[in-house]
Amino acid sequence: MLHRRIYQFLVIYAIGLCLLLALKYGLNLSDYVIPSPAEIVQTCRTYGGPYLLAVLNTLAVAILGHILSICLATLVAVTGRLTAWIGSFIRTAAYNIQAYPIVAVAPIIFILLGDGLQSRLLIAAMICYFPLLLSFIGVFSEPIREIEHFYESTGRMTWRLQVKIRAFENIQKLTTVIVGSATMAMVGTIVAEFIAATAGIGYSIRIALYQSDLAKILVALFWIGVGTSFYLVSLEWVGNALQKRLRSL
Amino acid sequence: MKPGLKSICLACVIFLIACAQKEELEEVNYRLKWLYNVSTVGDLYAETRGYFTRRGLKVNVKPGGPERDALKELELGHAQFGVASADQVLRAAAKGAPVVVLAQLFQVNPLHWIYRPDQTAFSGGDDLKGKRIGVTFGGNDEAILRAILARYGIAENEVTLFSVRYDYMPFYERRVDFWPLYLNAQAVIIGEKLEKAGETYAFLSPDQLGVRFVANSVVTTREMVEKRPDTVKRFLAALLQGWRDALDPRNQEQAVQVLLEADRETPEAVVRRQLPVTRELMLPAAGAEFGTIDPAAWKQTEEILRSQKLIPGSVDVESLLFTFK
Repeated sequence: MLHRRIYQFLVIYAIGLCLLLALKYGLNLSDYVIPSPAEIVQTCRTYGGPYLLAVLNTLAVAILGHILSICLATLVAVTGRLTAWIGSFIRTAAYNIQAYPIVAVAPIIFILLGDGLQSRLLIAAMICYFPLLLSFIGVFSEPIREIEHFYESTGRMTWRLQVKIRAFENIQKLTTVIVGSATMAMVGTIVAEFIAATAGIGYSIRIALYQSDLAKILVALFWIGVGTSFYLVSLEWVGNALQKRLRSL
Repeated sequence: MKPGLKSICLACVIFLIACAQKEELEEVNYRLKWLYNVSTVGDLYAETRGYFTRRGLKVNVKPGGPERDALKELELGHAQFGVASADQVLRAAAKGAPVVVLAQLFQVNPLHWIYRPDQTAFSGGDDLKGKRIGVTFGGNDEAILRAILARYGIAENEVTLFSVRYDYMPFYERRVDFWPLYLNAQAVIIGEKLEKAGETYAFLSPDQLGVRFVANSVVTTREMVEKRPDTVKRFLAALLQGWRDALDPRNQEQAVQVLLEADRETPEAVVRRQLPVTRELMLPAAGAEFGTIDPAAWKQTEEILRSQKLIPGSVDVESLLFTFK
């Protein structure tokens, strides 16, 4: 799976790079607009290592933010499942808050929390939290009547059992949503770093943009792609393992 | 000929003349470095008050921004003229971009550092030792600051560099001694806030510390200069006349109105305070023409970038600076 995902990413990256170089040589553009292959290689040699570390830094924050979002979304969705009104209220609130652009909210976050880890974590969590929440509310508020009816009629239904039944029956859907939101967690972290952090690949990209250095950005994009691929494959692997285990029970 | 037919013929002739005149205008795009603000007042003045039209040009003055790079647009053919800072020009030239500098707008770089004299004693470059200084890593303020430190023999571990973001809270909270800003733009707004709070403030000028790092200049491509010299001449003449008139105190009211039309976000009172500061930074020494290029400052800028390895090798500065003979 990992092999396939990385291979697919490399193909997309190579196609993008080739198109850029075709544009460069087709229009006879200088290295300032689009760097030459030699410059890209040289930049990769110089900044490949530091940028890899920066991506790992970003990835660590993204994973933390993602886990935080999953926990919070589960908690809110389980609570929201109790009554239709609460579920509907939370859904409406989630839609509204999701509509706010993070760049508008970010200054408030940075004033309150500074430009350290907390702000990055919160912004990453915010970006991937709401899509997760909406899906989780949908899953946990939808009864599985054919199964739940049996436990309800025998008086053995508890809220824990209800949550387990709904999670088990929708495990594939939940896995897909969690994997899908992982990319958003990564994007959220990079955006947070770009806006105001002092570490991570988003911060490095901001500096590269100040210096109009596309070669550095290409190297950064490469490592972001590789890092995200690894994370997505890991999540898919965990999801598959979990499904197999649940089926075997 | 019947009177009605006569009128129709006359209207047609007028229409055709108007069309012919319109067609005569040569259209070019002019990409600014930043959004419309006081640093673009002359560009807007020249456009709105018909300076370009009178020279047979239809100039589309387009605002810049963080993602817009006039030099890239010139090379891609999306713009024929632009505004770029010297570090951008030198970085581009070092990588083979066919850029030419036509005029230097700021004679003194507007980038300064604000500080509180009651908190931070400062009388010269040596006083920077031990201070907490705000800097935008990767920005040209970093290059300027490092040049100042090098000039006064201050090692990086003798100061604390504080990463700057877009809000001024660390400075307001006195966590930083020096904070970078543009003297003709943010300094007016921040200064007003500090005055209201009863605080005193002053500015560290890199220029006064011997670091003359060139700011905004008008640029075009070598191809434009070689193949369309007449267009370049007309554009430059109209633009510089626009700037001269916009900064003339006698035209202050018109200049303020032109700016307020384009930049509706900045209050009029702020614009009125920004304009005189801009004038001081842009007007050349007595006797010199507006837009005069300062080759010595350009060479110093090149040396700074080269010494900090921000450009891969030396750039022939003289070949970039263009003057019509």
